[in-house]
Amino acid sequence: MIAAKTYHKCQSVEEAIALALKHGEDFRYMAGGTDVIINKFQGNDETNCLIDISAIPELKQVSNDWNVLRIGSLVKLDDLKKHKTIADHFPALLEAAHSVASPMIRKTATIGGNILCENRCIFYNQSEWWREAVGYCLKCEGDVCIATGGKKNCFSKFVSDTAPVLICLDAQIEVFDTDGVKLIKLEDIYTGDGVNPRQLNPKAIVTAILLPLDKDYRCVFKKLRPRESVDYTSLTTAVSIDKKGRIKIALGGVDPGPVVAEGIGMSAIDSLILQVFKKARVIDNDFYTRPYRKEMIKVFLQRSFAELGNTNKQFDN
Amino acid sequence: MNILKLSVNGKSHEVLVKGDEMLSEVIRERIGLTGTKIGCEQGNCGACTVLVNDEPVLSCITPALRFDGAAVTTIEGISTDGRLHRLQKIFVEKGAVQCGFCTPGMVITALDFVNKTPTPTIDEIKESLSGNVCRCTGYKKIIEAVAEYAEGITNDQLPITNETSIVGKPRPYIEANKKVSGSAEYADDIRMKNTLHAKFLRSIYPHARIESIDTSQAEKLSGVRAVVTGQELPVRFGVLPVSNDETAMAIDKVRYIGEVIAAVAADTEDIAHAALKLIKVKYLPIQEFLTIEDSQKDTGLNERIHTETKFQNNIHKKAELRFGDQQKGMEESDVVSKMTFEFEGVTHAFTEPHAATAFWDENGLTIITATQVPHYLHRALAKVMEVPLNRVRVIKPYVGGGFGGKSDPFPHEMIISHLARKTGWPVKIRFTREEVFISNHGRHPSQMTVQLGAMRDGTLMVLDADIAIDGGAYGSFGVVTTYYNGVLLQAPYKLDNFGFKTCRVYTNKPQCGAMRGHGAVNSRFATESLIDDIAHRLQIDPVEIRLKNFLTPNTVTIGQYRITSNGSRESLMKVAKQSDWKNRHGKLEVGHGLGVGCGFFISGSALPIIWNELPQSVVHLKLDFDGRVLITSGASDIGQGSDTMLAMIVAEVLNIALDKIFVLAADTLITPVDMGSYSSRVTFMAGNAAKDAAEKLKIEILNAIAKAKDIAIEELNLCNERVFSNDKSIDVGWMEAIGILVSKRGAVNVIGKYISPKLGGDFKGAGAGLSPSYSFGACVAEVKVDTETGKVKILKIWGAHDCGKAINPLAVEGQLEGSWHMGIGQAISEEMKYYKGLIVNNNFLDYKIPTSMDTPDIATNIVETNDPEGPFGAKECGEGALHPILPAIANAIYDAVGVRITKLPIKPEDILNELKRTKQTEAAMTI
Ligand SMILES: Cc1cc2nc3c(=O)[nH]c(=O)nc-3n(C[C@H](O)[C@H](O)[C@H](O)COP(=O)(O)OP(=O)(O)OC[C@H]3O[C@@H](n4cnc5c(N)ncnc54)[C@H](O)[C@@H]3O)c2cc1C
Ligand code: SF4
Ligand code: FES
Ligand code: FES
Repeated sequence: MIAAKTYHKCQSVEEAIALALKHGEDFRYMAGGTDVIINKFQGNDETNCLIDISAIPELKQVSNDWNVLRIGSLVKLDDLKKHKTIADHFPALLEAAHSVASPMIRKTATIGGNILCENRCIFYNQSEWWREAVGYCLKCEGDVCIATGGKKNCFSKFVSDTAPVLICLDAQIEVFDTDGVKLIKLEDIYTGDGVNPRQLNPKAIVTAILLPLDKDYRCVFKKLRPRESVDYTSLTTAVSIDKKGRIKIALGGVDPGPVVAEGIGMSAIDSLILQVFKKARVIDNDFYTRPYRKEMIKVFLQRSFAELGNTNKQFDN
Repeated sequence: MNILKLSVNGKSHEVLVKGDEMLSEVIRERIGLTGTKIGCEQGNCGACTVLVNDEPVLSCITPALRFDGAAVTTIEGISTDGRLHRLQKIFVEKGAVQCGFCTPGMVITALDFVNKTPTPTIDEIKESLSGNVCRCTGYKKIIEAVAEYAEGITNDQLPITNETSIVGKPRPYIEANKKVSGSAEYADDIRMKNTLHAKFLRSIYPHARIESIDTSQAEKLSGVRAVVTGQELPVRFGVLPVSNDETAMAIDKVRYIGEVIAAVAADTEDIAHAALKLIKVKYLPIQEFLTIEDSQKDTGLNERIHTETKFQNNIHKKAELRFGDQQKGMEESDVVSKMTFEFEGVTHAFTEPHAATAFWDENGLTIITATQVPHYLHRALAKVMEVPLNRVRVIKPYVGGGFGGKSDPFPHEMIISHLARKTGWPVKIRFTREEVFISNHGRHPSQMTVQLGAMRDGTLMVLDADIAIDGGAYGSFGVVTTYYNGVLLQAPYKLDNFGFKTCRVYTNKPQCGAMRGHGAVNSRFATESLIDDIAHRLQIDPVEIRLKNFLTPNTVTIGQYRITSNGSRESLMKVAKQSDWKNRHGKLEVGHGLGVGCGFFISGSALPIIWNELPQSVVHLKLDFDGRVLITSGASDIGQGSDTMLAMIVAEVLNIALDKIFVLAADTLITPVDMGSYSSRVTFMAGNAAKDAAEKLKIEILNAIAKAKDIAIEELNLCNERVFSNDKSIDVGWMEAIGILVSKRGAVNVIGKYISPKLGGDFKGAGAGLSPSYSFGACVAEVKVDTETGKVKILKIWGAHDCGKAINPLAVEGQLEGSWHMGIGQAISEEMKYYKGLIVNNNFLDYKIPTSMDTPDIATNIVETNDPEGPFGAKECGEGALHPILPAIANAIYDAVGVRITKLPIKPEDILNELKRTKQTEAAMTI
């Protein structure tokens, strides 16, 4: 049962925002819709108006100027690989995009939608009947977190696979808000709160993702999941090093937000790993248990750095 | 509502569409093209894939209004002028179509893929199909079909319609064209005028008294035609006469979360859904029982899930059988291996959700439903509806897979029949994927401690098993399952001292029942793990120790199973050779291993479920002036190919081409009784009945010619669609022969039947697992284990299965590959996860069926032993093949990293923990 009484397809960002303003809180933007529609199907999203932005032409462009790559938010995950600059500079981003969902979904899903897709939890991504049976949790009008057996915080999983890589690549997003256009560091939009994982005006539209082209990043992406396709992440890791030896780690799938740490030089690695390991608020709301996912954070990161090390001997200090 | 303009397969449509309508709904419900299938509605299965402006789209998760003005191509638009597209043809010829439910989505996905990647590698093909769930084929034949299509090879050899000797030759399903072109109608595709739609209110408590149900508000909702509750259908049913413990809807109390409490029939699904929210139920929770341990504890009557059992607790059934002298066997053993195993439940996960339509007319009740057992449903409906048997007609349309999951009479079938009677209109139900999971009837979660003893030379001396299985809230096939877990261990190895104790408990969870490999998959896993352990401890090659202990053909087991044909030796030798076992087992680098397992299964239960004197299978043949043979049979083709099997057998006996044969199956008004598709009985039993009928018809034909031409019947031959005498003086073509046959007589009808011989001992429990024949098989698996993450990658499977004789090798391969694929799932990723009795992973995203990318390369071997009683020597191949693959994988993990996992599914962290534990013990030992 999908709750959305009206549907509008917009041709421009302005039109979309104007429509949004008319509907108060009772609307949802839809890009590919591969996340929105599922949440509607399960009754987790009960807004009554769908504003389809997928046809807005200017959000589908990829361009580079001033040493910045600009990826339109509506570029489909499957189409990223068609752009040589992305393939040349950010192969890890392609890997991350390729790891999302299934081939068919990637032909509809957008990169903008991916960084904004809703957090997940096995106690939340369920039908209305199911959630009633389990006794609603914090993320859907209940009083306690079921996954943790009664905590007052929600630890739903942050699942975007491209976001950790984008964060490691120092991505900024371009936001067309009701009061003008802004650039925001990608990691800054995530709150780490499972109920409201993003601090972005719901009426704002992300128009593009911007990536610096002059930092010579090396980046390694890994994803833990039970099967080799379709599955959401149980742990996503991205690590990067830029030409100045600045190291960045971003984790997904193990906390309500991305878990990020930065440092300088390969010698910082161990402490950075420990830092994110401690920061990640992993709970039992996944196919794999909490201890296993915790343990894998270390394994994945050590492997990633080993791979980075192999290609980046020159940065060792 | 908005107006949506679409061109669908070249035809323009203008439809009024709501903002929340998905494209799939518009295509199926408004435009009426039902080739596009709905398997999940959540983007997880790919069945609904269509092309929009030549780009593939999952139509179940895309609002239709997005595509105003677009050109949509559905599966119906892929063939042109009634001719299949080349890819469709290859799907048919390669056997890439079984139940056919995934096929439309698969074909469209593959078409788009090859268009964009004209020279793909096999890995690329696998990746491209990895969002499309197929539960039948194990993907192998689909991948091959796509590869062949991409290579551009045209293979016009296969569909030979005029060939007359066809048993043993690979042959596409007779209905494959319909399935691949989207015109085959499944239960949800049936459209009847004025149909009402049913929805069910389901319990949110695992165990509770129902204090009151108030349906008054729901009844008032405009568009609601009836609201019904449990009191109205008080008669109990169940597939086994010994456990008629279920009612169509809960009466007085609920026994699991998801049990139906009330049902609504309304003009639309939306209205029915809205009405559910207006029904008020007051519950009084009762202590719930969710584990085997808890259910074994004594409780008061109020806490008993069912009060009519013999016990003071929630045990449903206990059984124990002992043969030989187990104690002596233990004493004489030089080595005894004993382990405790734990198995999570798994479920069938067929791609077609349950669906049915029921209506009443002057002939009583008709129900068109996705079922494996029309006959048992027929009986159950008559009982619950309280009408005579002759007022019920069950029709099975095309069915999108079953694997045992459609082999019980289901509450929804009773409820819609009742709603239809009450409203006077046809009533339809279709389950959401979540409801399919709630209905379950899958493999029982099990715990067992098993001991196996052997002499130093590897001779197996004794087997003992102590088994407990978790049956969920109702009986289903559970009493049989309880026995099968034990009795089916008495082969394929010779065991003179053998015994088991087993029990099934009721718990407040969805019920478990029969699933592919019924009853013996878990205990087989245990036994094969123990043999592996013994082999290692005795330093005997695991293949050798098995070869040493196999039963021979034509023997009797300790529990008095009559073994006739037996291809275990040949199966095992084949996979050992192909995998280069001798040179590689135990010799690969750490993290890389080979493992072996064997299997054994019944080929049709020799006893009917409901005791009666009917033959187990009856097949009618009618031959009329047009020269076409009509086969009517109650056997249910659920994608395994039984219609084709019947046609091939009849064609072979009469030596006519398949185009002169028409199969009409599984309609209880028209077709004679067949017990149904369970216990791997159809080829053996219905096949034998078909053969019997065809032989009778042959005699009718020859007799007629003999009489007309005044020649002895012994002189006549029926071959290649001609009847001719040995000296060729008489030589008439088929049509002429039929003319002679029907002249002054009319159509000729013959009846063939199969009744299994009297078998087995005369002790209590002797009937369990009796079968006129048994199947055997073996698998070798090759795995890689990542010692830091514990992740297992299955690299390759070699499988061999003794199916007696492959009547249709293409179909047999399909069954084997599907079985192995399903076994891989249970071994490493599938499990039914519950939270306080509530099924958590109730969708194809969280229930982890191996995708095409998780499916290894499979080497398929058919072993033929020519069974003395099977039709043309054939026996089962649809279930038994599953058994050996699970232990082969676990044993390969042992070979790779030296740890033995005794819990399914095998989780990476269990491997890691075991690795750590063995390291610690090793370290402790060196100190
Ligand atoms: C079976 C399945 C498996 C999946 N597996 C994965 C996976 O492995 N990894 C993963 O990351 N995701 C997965 N997803 C989720 C989803 O498909 C992806 O996250 C996808 O990238 C979302 O993109 P979209 O364009 O479809 O987003 P939409 O569903 O259209 O939107 C997602 C959210 O972002 C908002 N939004 C979208 N675009 C904008 C914009 N430009 N400005 C403002 N707000 C916007 C929407 O309002 C909505 O809240 C899976 C989904 C399915 C159905
Ligand atoms: S983490 Fe807890 S509160 Fe958050 S969605 Fe899961 S169960 Fe609900
Ligand atoms: S029905 Fe659309 S993906 Fe399953
Ligand atoms: S043929 Fe693929 S699901 Fe049945």
